[in-house]
Amino acid sequence: MFERRPNDLKILLQNNLLDTEFDWLLKTIEETQLQATSRKLYLNYSLCGSRIQDEVLDDCDAVASDLRDYLKIQKASKKEIARIYLLCSVLSESSIFEEWVKKLIQVADTSELATFLKFLVLLPSPENYLFVAAEALRTNISVVFDAISKYNPYPATYFSEQQWNQMFLKAAFMQQDLGAIVAIENRANVELARIISDYAHERWAASRAVDPMIWRPVSKFLNDDLFEDIKILLGSENIKEKQAGALICFHSDFGFAKDFLNTYPELKSSIESGKITWDSIND
Amino acid sequence: MTTKMHYIDPHIHMTSRTTDDYEAMAAAGIVAIIEPSFWLGQPRTQVGSFQDYFSSLVGWEPFRASQFGIKHYCTIGLNSKEANNEALAEQVMELLPLYLIKENVVAVGEIGYDDQTAAEDKYFRAQLELAKEFDMTVQVHTPHRDKKAGTIRSMEVCLEHGLDPNNVIIDHNNEETVQEVLDRGFIAAFTIYPKTKMGNQRMVEVVKKFGSTNIIVDSSADWGVSDPLAVPKTAGLMLRSGVSREDVHKTCYQNAYDFFSRSGKMKEEHWLHPEAIDQRKLFNDNSVLRGQQPKVEDDKIE
Repeated sequence: MFERRPNDLKILLQNNLLDTEFDWLLKTIEETQLQATSRKLYLNYSLCGSRIQDEVLDDCDAVASDLRDYLKIQKASKKEIARIYLLCSVLSESSIFEEWVKKLIQVADTSELATFLKFLVLLPSPENYLFVAAEALRTNISVVFDAISKYNPYPATYFSEQQWNQMFLKAAFMQQDLGAIVAIENRANVELARIISDYAHERWAASRAVDPMIWRPVSKFLNDDLFEDIKILLGSENIKEKQAGALICFHSDFGFAKDFLNTYPELKSSIESGKITWDSIND
Repeated sequence: MTTKMHYIDPHIHMTSRTTDDYEAMAAAGIVAIIEPSFWLGQPRTQVGSFQDYFSSLVGWEPFRASQFGIKHYCTIGLNSKEANNEALAEQVMELLPLYLIKENVVAVGEIGYDDQTAAEDKYFRAQLELAKEFDMTVQVHTPHRDKKAGTIRSMEVCLEHGLDPNNVIIDHNNEETVQEVLDRGFIAAFTIYPKTKMGNQRMVEVVKKFGSTNIIVDSSADWGVSDPLAVPKTAGLMLRSGVSREDVHKTCYQNAYDFFSRSGKMKEEHWLHPEAIDQRKLFNDNSVLRGQQPKVEDDKIE
């Protein structure tokens, strides 16, 4: 999860908003905290849309580097972060706002929902929004699914194993960039390894290609059955599949895996020299 | 044919339509649509049903339309029929401000009278006030029964509440109502219905007689017998009946664009210059449309 410094969002906004926008935002937050009614919160949340520019933040130096990179990759806008800051401020003031914030998320349009999902991790007690995050796994609207699954640290921290597996498999189904999922190795599990093998067999039976990136979580869970799949990868004519098979063997403690990799010395040395990585396969 | 014309259907209930319709509409040149919120054929009994319906108009349906290269906007309001359940209507009124500011909501609508009851009057007025507060365009549904009186009453109430008539679209006009609407400075929309009511041959005559200023053509296609291609078919018939290309463009595209784009949310660039990434998303799996024959050869709406 991101390193947070006190007031980092506030300074970030101060550095990016016009003075008039920033003053309006501070005044609005104070007013919302003071009145503490749902009507005021809904109104001021809505007004951010017309009062603050919908432009990408240009100066992100106020926050720690990991959050800075995240804001950049998500192309965070001034309006989006102003809204998130408004919500952070009222939620830290009183728990009375929690139900109202949930309602705001419930009635969000597509881009608002994507914003919430991308920046749930910035809200106080992000675990309160697990239901919303898991619901986003059921959507067929790609921007919503991407918001929770791509680059987002929320799933790795808060999803159950079942939710994590559902996300990973759905991303593969949707032919999403699997390299954009955060902490794949950390959340790898034996059940996911089985699911991946089943998925690959289904695709192969239908003569359809399998994204080599899908194999990334299986290294630590090789067994006799999965090892047969890995042999197929290493025998493939697709160089990326070969490399994926080799990487899995290299990182596996399964009995025959390392010996088997020795029969592919070139692949092995390319891995040792750092030439073959999951990132290079994904390029 | 010269260059292919673009159309906007500013009143169509896509929630009730199929993907075949979306394909045919895109092939026929429809680039943008507006889906007014209305009733679903039977009354809702819970406010949650309204909430989920409104959410689908700002969520799932715009996405579905985008898959066929069509830009989807909507209008949000409490329809006249369901205004008659006052206990429920009160709860829906609370919900409306949450939706009026959403990214694809371009007006308050469709609101107005059905049976012209006291409850309908109460919520019509309350929503006109809301439109004023949010500085939004209004799309007015006029009653099928006692049409002329209901249409005049709708306009008088709008004026009474201080709305700018040029920012109010009076829908479902016919030859009997159009003059009154234009004389008062309101925008007159015409719904082209198959079989009964306003057919497209009659629409041709309306444009010949009244011109193209402040006049809009729409389909109001929904879950009943209706035609989602009513706008392009009527445009075709107008062109062949000697109506100028400019008048066709105004009544079937430009006027709707001019009025609804006041929201600042409807923008031509959405369909003229879709972002590269959107375009990839849009036409993914949909290349089957290219080169396909548009389903408008027979453009008579019976």
